[in-house]
Amino acid sequence: MTTFKKYVGAMLEQAAREAELDRSTTIEAQHVLLAIAARPEATAGDVLISAGLDQRAIRAALARELEHSLSAAGVSLGAFDLPPPTSAPERATKLGASVKYALERGVHGIRKGKDLRPGHLLLGILQAEVGTVPRALALSGADRADLLLRVRHTLSAAPK
Amino acid sequence: MPSAVRFGAQDPADALAAVAALRRLADQLEDAAVEQAMRAGWSWPEVAEALGVTRQAVHKKHAKRLIAAGVTLRRREE
Repeated sequence: MTTFKKYVGAMLEQAAREAELDRSTTIEAQHVLLAIAARPEATAGDVLISAGLDQRAIRAALARELEHSLSAAGVSLGAFDLPPPTSAPERATKLGASVKYALERGVHGIRKGKDLRPGHLLLGILQAEVGTVPRALALSGADRADLLLRVRHTLSAAPK
Repeated sequence: MPSAVRFGAQDPADALAAVAALRRLADQLEDAAVEQAMRAGWSWPEVAEALGVTRQAVHKKHAKRLIAAGVTLRRREE
């Protein structure tokens, strides 16, 4: 199995845990982003961490995005006082549309499987112009264009 | 005149994101509300009908989770 496939497999496994914590029935791009940030030793994780986007910062940005988006519909999270459910839903195994788009975008234009690198996954996630991830990053003040440049830079460097 | 800013009303990005966020919130509320109802002794058919879904759908979605949470579930025919 190629390094890319192994990396994507490991990231999706971690992302499934993030989806569970988020009570999501599908694995979405934000869960993969959190998984990538959990591996600072990997190049892609390092790009996020060095831009101040560790897991804690990403979680805060995602929470802010949810509040912000709900408020556009006049809804506040604080308006509901149901006790939180006591256990997590089934582990999500289905990939959400946002992850499918990210994978498509990330590997677009790569002709040979051996040219695929772990950074292509993060590239695909950061390339989304709309959706939860770009909105969360914008609300947190992160510079997505700069992040993209940094990822592309690591991808153009000689493979380790 | 109230001067509250109503962001989102004009911006399609905000409106679409609101729809996505409401779906996420609805899923979370469903988990909490179903658990609360089952703890209060509601049956699967009652919960299903109240949610507007089939018994099979609600059972498939929530049974394992509630059993894991230690909720005593009423049998269907009760």
